[in-house]
Amino acid sequence: MSKENDEQIIDVSGFDPHFRDEIAAEPGGEHIRRCYSCSTCTAGCPVAGVTDKYNPRRIIHMALLGMREQVLNSDFAWLCSVCYTCYERCPQDVRIPELMTAIRNVAVREGIIPATFKLQVAKLREHGRLYEIEAFENERRADYGLPPIEEETEEVRTLLDHVGVKEEP
Amino acid sequence: MMDVGRHPNIELMAYSEVEDISGYVGNFKVHVRKKARYVDATECTACGDCAKVCPIVMPDAFQAGLATRRAIYIPFPQAVPSAYIVNADECLGNNPIACGKCIQACDKGCIDFDMLDEIVALDVGAIIVATGMDVYDPTALDEYGYTSIVDVITSMEFERLISAGGPTEGHFVRPSDRTRPKRIGFVQCVGSRTLHSEKNPDGARGNPYCSNICCMNTIKDSLLLKDHYPDTEITVFYMDIRAFGKGFEDLYMTSKAKGVRYIRGLPGEVVADDATGNIHLYVENTATGLLEEHDVDLLVLSVGTVPCKETDLVRQLLTLSRTGDGFLMEAHPKLKPVDTPTKGVYVAGCAESPKDIKDSVTQASAAAARAEILLNAPKIKVEAITAVVDPDLCKMCGQCAAVCPFSAILWEKKQVARVVSAACAGCGTCAAECPFDAITMRHFTDQQVYAMIDAILETNPLEKILAFACNWCSYAGADTAGTARLQYPANARLIRTMCSGRVKPDFVWYAFQKGAPMVLVSGCHFADCHYINANRQTVRRVDALWEGLEQHGVRPERLQIDWCSAAEGQKWARIMREVEELRAAVTPDEVERTQEALAGKKVPRTSQVWRLKAPAPATLACYRCGHTWPVTFNLEEDKERMCPACRSNSVRVVL
Repeated sequence: MSKENDEQIIDVSGFDPHFRDEIAAEPGGEHIRRCYSCSTCTAGCPVAGVTDKYNPRRIIHMALLGMREQVLNSDFAWLCSVCYTCYERCPQDVRIPELMTAIRNVAVREGIIPATFKLQVAKLREHGRLYEIEAFENERRADYGLPPIEEETEEVRTLLDHVGVKEEP
Repeated sequence: MMDVGRHPNIELMAYSEVEDISGYVGNFKVHVRKKARYVDATECTACGDCAKVCPIVMPDAFQAGLATRRAIYIPFPQAVPSAYIVNADECLGNNPIACGKCIQACDKGCIDFDMLDEIVALDVGAIIVATGMDVYDPTALDEYGYTSIVDVITSMEFERLISAGGPTEGHFVRPSDRTRPKRIGFVQCVGSRTLHSEKNPDGARGNPYCSNICCMNTIKDSLLLKDHYPDTEITVFYMDIRAFGKGFEDLYMTSKAKGVRYIRGLPGEVVADDATGNIHLYVENTATGLLEEHDVDLLVLSVGTVPCKETDLVRQLLTLSRTGDGFLMEAHPKLKPVDTPTKGVYVAGCAESPKDIKDSVTQASAAAARAEILLNAPKIKVEAITAVVDPDLCKMCGQCAAVCPFSAILWEKKQVARVVSAACAGCGTCAAECPFDAITMRHFTDQQVYAMIDAILETNPLEKILAFACNWCSYAGADTAGTARLQYPANARLIRTMCSGRVKPDFVWYAFQKGAPMVLVSGCHFADCHYINANRQTVRRVDALWEGLEQHGVRPERLQIDWCSAAEGQKWARIMREVEELRAAVTPDEVERTQEALAGKKVPRTSQVWRLKAPAPATLACYRCGHTWPVTFNLEEDKERMCPACRSNSVRVVL
């Protein structure tokens, strides 16, 4: 058998059969076991349309198989744009956007957070927004007759501290 | 149909509606409204001269709206009787200024606008319900574009388009440009296998069951197309092909061999390309895990089945019940598949569940034979377990008649209730309801039950669990546990009743007065009650007992309730283990205090919960594991209560 074929064979012996229960116990992940892989979600997904990295049916299937390491360590659960198209259409009411949140929550508990999200949190702490407010932004606002804004960093920091988002997540 | 119309022993009443049914097995009285068709059906030769002059043009429902008909029309070519009919709502009327053209056109003078509806009273011995089903309407599934794209059609519309009797006389064309489509896609499971949920509360997006016929219908359609037009490219998008019947797998294989492509994965998006007239589909081929795009000229939605919309009317007319999917319920899913809970009423075809022609014919033959057996018997035998009213004790309150699921008790104000033995099924819920002990259930008398309770509690009452088990499910479930040799505590003593609805609150009260530590009431699951809905009365009585016990300072947890089917031996063993755990915690002191508290006290018969008129905030409390959770409780929608933590049914509504 060629090496390529070898890689396509999934060895289930190391999988975690309780991973599905772990997700089902997480708010939003309750309905994961209902999925019967019709793929209505993926076929209508705007993210899956532009990148094959994100495929909700495949993620659910991997989670049901117990591929804990692969699911948590990959960034695909973070790619969901939460547009709720699949939520509306899923015939089994799996509630996929909420399921993705559940998977992210399990990943965060394990300390697995993609670098982009860490950077976003750092930006929030630094500027109170996802971007820095400079003279340019306020000039543009003035053109449209909008009042200038200031960075309200302290409030956002307090909020972040309050909900437990750490300095270095 | 022609044979039926001609048969000397069959009276066919087309264009008629059943208004009312009364009576009981062997003696039904049926009132039928024969609607005025404004055409003398015995004279009309269906020449069609009338329709040619009728100025009103309407969509033809038989042709799925793909053709038109007039206000005077024949419903479909093979209709029996073969006679025209006037739709009075559409007709301009027999007014010389407005119209009346058809009357002039009819040489035989069959048209009579003075015809009136006629009510016909029939005496019948048996009734077969074969009211059929409806087809799912895919309008709500906007991702498939049924209402926005002309060339997305349903399997019913496809059927008309390819039928020689259809609007195109069998020349298969697509609706938009009337050209023959070369590439055809089929989407399976449209409206089927879709759970009801918050976003789909009424099944607009589909129903949870498999509709049974759509897979084979698509396979048949694909073969028809390949026969008529071998160059057609056919792609079927599916998630499971269920080809389970005789010869079905063969057909599936033939279809594949003829080049029909089967792709596992349902489309997520269907878009029309206005420039080319193509229909563009996005689908994930789950075999490869890759997103694919397909172009077809015509897309057929293989729509599922739904209960016919008048099912509830039929149910009310005949006191039948419906299963969770909305179809009519049979008396027993395995052993009485064509009988209904009402004696003398049988069911056939898609009124009972979605099924194909062969299964419908099988079930109809069986139903006819069952009815025949009944009608040919000079007398019918009733089981010797029916209810008997003692006229001396009856206080004419009518409570028994109100709870009888079979309407077998005849009662009018200031009259002694009378049981129609032929209609009585023997559940005993009337005897349990009667506050004056005026009803005797033969072979399940109050005296017999009290004697059993006495015997059970005679020695070592503290170690016993007193369990009421219904004949059909719980008692059979205990049997299953036994034959499967499941281990469970053996200190339960079972009292068998035909239905849990026979368990009179007095029995439970008496058992506690006599020193029982635990009492269990068990019956069939809610949807499976063998007496339509008699076990709903069980819940009401247990709710009242819980409230009464609590009032007198007795722990209501000592009365347990559970639903256990005949197959659930495992569940029975689990119930026994759990209830035994609770029994072990009951002390001799507690039992003694209970006996003192309940001595001479009246049996509670009413519950606050059952007096609720509107949904109210409440807490559900599991009396097995102690779990509690808040709900907005609606008595109307009170189905089988179950604890999400321990899955027991001993769940009380605390207001």
